[in-house]
Amino acid sequence: MNDPDRDRACIERLRAGDTRALEDLYDRYGDLLYSMVVRILGRAAEAEDVLQEAWLQVWRKADAYDPARGTVGAWLVTVARSRAIDRLRSEGSRRRAETAAGDEPATPPGDPSVDAGARILGERVTSALAKLDSRHRQVLILAYFDCLSQREIADRLDAPLGTVKSWTRQALLRLGELVPPEGES
Amino acid sequence: MSRHRDEHLDLCAALALGILEGAERAEIEAHLAQGCGTCDAELGRMGHGALLMAVSAPPLAAPATLRVRVMEAVRGQATPRPIAQVRALPRPSYPRRRAVWTWAWGAALAVIAVAGMMQYRRALDLEHKLAAASGELERLRHQVEEEARWAALPSAPRVKVVTLAATPAGSSELIARVTYDPDTRRAVVMCDHFTAPAGSDYQLWAIHGSGPSSLGLVRPDRAGRAVIRLPDAGDPASLAAFAVSLEKEGGAPTPNAPAGPVVMVGKIPS
Repeated sequence: MNDPDRDRACIERLRAGDTRALEDLYDRYGDLLYSMVVRILGRAAEAEDVLQEAWLQVWRKADAYDPARGTVGAWLVTVARSRAIDRLRSEGSRRRAETAAGDEPATPPGDPSVDAGARILGERVTSALAKLDSRHRQVLILAYFDCLSQREIADRLDAPLGTVKSWTRQALLRLGELVPPEGES
Repeated sequence: MSRHRDEHLDLCAALALGILEGAERAEIEAHLAQGCGTCDAELGRMGHGALLMAVSAPPLAAPATLRVRVMEAVRGQATPRPIAQVRALPRPSYPRRRAVWTWAWGAALAVIAVAGMMQYRRALDLEHKLAAASGELERLRHQVEEEARWAALPSAPRVKVVTLAATPAGSSELIARVTYDPDTRRAVVMCDHFTAPAGSDYQLWAIHGSGPSSLGLVRPDRAGRAVIRLPDAGDPASLAAFAVSLEKEGGAPTPNAPAGPVVMVGKIPS
């Protein structure tokens, strides 16, 4: 997807106060983070506010990135997603109740102007998700896009909490096996 | 240093997904802070899985204005300004009259009147622009709501993913995959290496029990890639497969029978 060395170099430049490093990272991950946050929040305007906060956090707290715990891309996704979850929680229970009622968030379909390579990768991941055990797939979608806690997922699926925890890990491992990081496939 | 336990691996998964809270979050963070190579490596694997989940979101292009906002905020370290505040335009303030020398009264009043009128016109102009922007926003919102079901397609409960395979008449380089939701009958087709020979076009087909029906031509970009959204790919009761044929430019003469060779086919799994 992206060159990990180049990403790490960007983090070093960020730590040195180079704003162009943030531009580089933005140009590589801006669309991905935007797509993810719009999918979670369902509203483009809110997503923009959340992402502005997230990118500022990346700028201010580049020291928080630990290469031992994953790629820069994964870290950026974590930062943006945490901000999106904060926004959901700040809205109280209303949106959650809507989600629990089964409404799909108002998310636009794929944008034709997005790079075709990104689309192909996205379709590859979607295909991999379809190959997962249905319970595993449900757990990931409820956790990732509906932002439910594992307790809430257990209630929703009428499954023991320990089982949901186990499913979560197995699902992520299996997904990573089906679409391994670049250089490992 | 807290000793590593197998339960920590499950906590790493939840942490990577950002759904860990309370005592469990504090526990794993304390454990990680003390250094655990096993959990660090696990967090790397889980983080990759979480990154893939982000990739599975319907791809969108971030608005160019967002990049400008972000970079301006970073450069100035300004506090993020919510859009809602931008919408709440203040009413124009009019210059106050002040005491001036008698001989200047007329001129001053004229200047104030003109300035006030300009301010007023500017405010009106802004209001019109705001109204237009609101209309555009409403249109976009409607469009978003109208197409929300597309976003739900990949995670639909009974979604089918059909990978088409090349027939002996087709090139092995051709790649096509259909994501089809039998409940809404919508489908998204992803194509790669679909640059057709000169004077020809690839055509997509739905194969029903009663025969084929055209789903349209594949119009790839210069790299040979295409993404096709089908609002109605066909009735799941009769739809059995998808296929691609190579036709003369413009497609087959009739919409219910390929005229050229069928180059790809994929059966819908039961």
